[in-house]
Amino acid sequence: MSDVDTIAVAKANTLPGMTSLPGEDPAMTATVVLGVIGADCHAVGNKILENVFAVAGFTVVNLGVMVSQDEFIDAAIETGAKAILVSSIYGHGEIDCAGFRDRCIERGLDDILLYAGGNLVIGKQDFAEVEAKFLAMGFDRVFPSTVDLSVPTSLLRQDLGRRAAFGGGK
Amino acid sequence: MIAVSIDIGSTWTKGAVFRRDGQGLTLDRRIAVPTTTDDLSRAFSRVLDGLVDGGDAASRVRRGEVRLSYSSSAKGGLAVAALGLVPEITLESARVAAYSAGAKVTRVFSYRLTRSDIRSLEAAPPDILLFAGGTDGGHVDSILANAEALARSSLDCSIVYAGNRALADDISDLLAGKDLVQVPNVLPSINAPDPDPAREAIRKIFLSKIVKGKGLDVIVGETGVEPLPTPYSVYEFAKLISARVPGWSDFILLDMGGATTDVYSAHRERPAPGTILRGLPEPEVKRTVEGDLGLRVSAEAASDALKGLVADALDRREERIAAFADYIARVSAAPDYLPEDEDGQAFDAILAGACVAEACGRHAGRAAEVYTPEGKLKLQTGRDLTGVTRVIGSGGWLSRTASFDPSPWFRRMGVDNRGRAVLLPSEISYFRDEHYVFPLLANVARDFPEEAAKAGIDMLVAQQ
Repeated sequence: MSDVDTIAVAKANTLPGMTSLPGEDPAMTATVVLGVIGADCHAVGNKILENVFAVAGFTVVNLGVMVSQDEFIDAAIETGAKAILVSSIYGHGEIDCAGFRDRCIERGLDDILLYAGGNLVIGKQDFAEVEAKFLAMGFDRVFPSTVDLSVPTSLLRQDLGRRAAFGGGK
Repeated sequence: MIAVSIDIGSTWTKGAVFRRDGQGLTLDRRIAVPTTTDDLSRAFSRVLDGLVDGGDAASRVRRGEVRLSYSSSAKGGLAVAALGLVPEITLESARVAAYSAGAKVTRVFSYRLTRSDIRSLEAAPPDILLFAGGTDGGHVDSILANAEALARSSLDCSIVYAGNRALADDISDLLAGKDLVQVPNVLPSINAPDPDPAREAIRKIFLSKIVKGKGLDVIVGETGVEPLPTPYSVYEFAKLISARVPGWSDFILLDMGGATTDVYSAHRERPAPGTILRGLPEPEVKRTVEGDLGLRVSAEAASDALKGLVADALDRREERIAAFADYIARVSAAPDYLPEDEDGQAFDAILAGACVAEACGRHAGRAAEVYTPEGKLKLQTGRDLTGVTRVIGSGGWLSRTASFDPSPWFRRMGVDNRGRAVLLPSEISYFRDEHYVFPLLANVARDFPEEAAKAGIDMLVAQQ
């Protein structure tokens, strides 16, 4: 995917009028839980994500690589996280992420934001299809591996701001 | 200079005199008398007077002529109920802190306390409720709900709050009517446990509350010396040996009694390439206590928990298994029973081996092999003790029994019921604390750390 496509995806993920929502406050320090799901041990991108989200003002709880769904959820409960950021690069993200939203709800995290990003499926599938698949699985935002990381940080700020403005619930 | 050390156990009050000459400590004399449970000071005085020549021992301690240190495991230790949020995270952090303080964890609660949880706490209150939950700035709702439930309850034990610091003021307000101590969070952030402040608070409560009554306060009054909980003292001793004795940075220490099996391990995790660590970081010295594994009071519970191990050791022969069950029923009602016949001794050895195996198995970490596109990796939780080759046996049966070898028992642990490898060593060197001096030297270590650590190792008997 080219840079132009990435921007198009970013725009598609941004709702009209969001730029003026209160969540744009750059000082927002919401806690987010970050990790690489499943049997995926790619650590470099994970470190980059930690740094980028921390610099963007979030309190990042980085669980590192090979994280299970329950480990993400456990950490989110203890830390009072507002979002779980799941990354995957080895192509098995679809299997690893199946049922994640349901599990969050079962464990009492009804309102948590779920983001997924990376090389989420095997082979060369059109990102729009991948995104639709993950949105249907209950993820709030889906990003390709080529995304400019200012896009997810900015969208996260907006999504959290919107939640704050509308009192939490999905 | 002589150092006198006394340990008040639930059955025996034991004491020893150690002589300090040059850089070493040598064991001079030992005495043990039955513990006087109604007034601990009577047995204590008999031991002290028996160890210090020339009479008026307590005054000589006060004048500094004799160094006294002592510990107490009276009542089987301090009963702590641990409350956390997620079982594997803050509840586990609370449990680690309580064990390291020398407590026995009698109840555990996670997430929100229910009305029946509160009723059961009211009906059988612990000495201390260790109240954790949430990292600093983290979870709020369930912790406040738990504080409110505790505030409404009639529970009047000490409460140590070691949870989310952001709620410290709310907790103070809500639990204003309770005996509340606030300490820094046992888990301030998700990968950085901090058990020491909670541990210190538990130790102080031991001194201020548990020492009162039963004669411990009389001992403090007469000698001017305060006691420590025995396992707290032994934990510190294990830390000291690991830090100070060359070649002993990593070891396992077993202390098995009639009611419980304590396992201490000193080990710094050094994951090999290809190993991914998951779960909470482990402390360098860890203590766990198994309340259902013991040779007498807990023998019934132990034989229930150890059915498979015991049956294997008896070659699955029905008549031997039935005879073993009869033996267990007999000894659990007779805590002081020592078998003289061959069968009884063999059954004790099997029960002891199985208790050691199971207690160490629960203490050790787990590893599973995971196949990834990058190749095979090891996913590890808890501590990897496979490379820890030195094991010490201490306490009644383990101190006495020269023929015992834990190696085959460790090997039987193999994999757990989820197919994960139990991270225990398969080849070990076994050492026996023949005179059961570890708790006594642990006390002396407060005054003479270097010498006591060295003496502890020097006095061990290596298994041939």
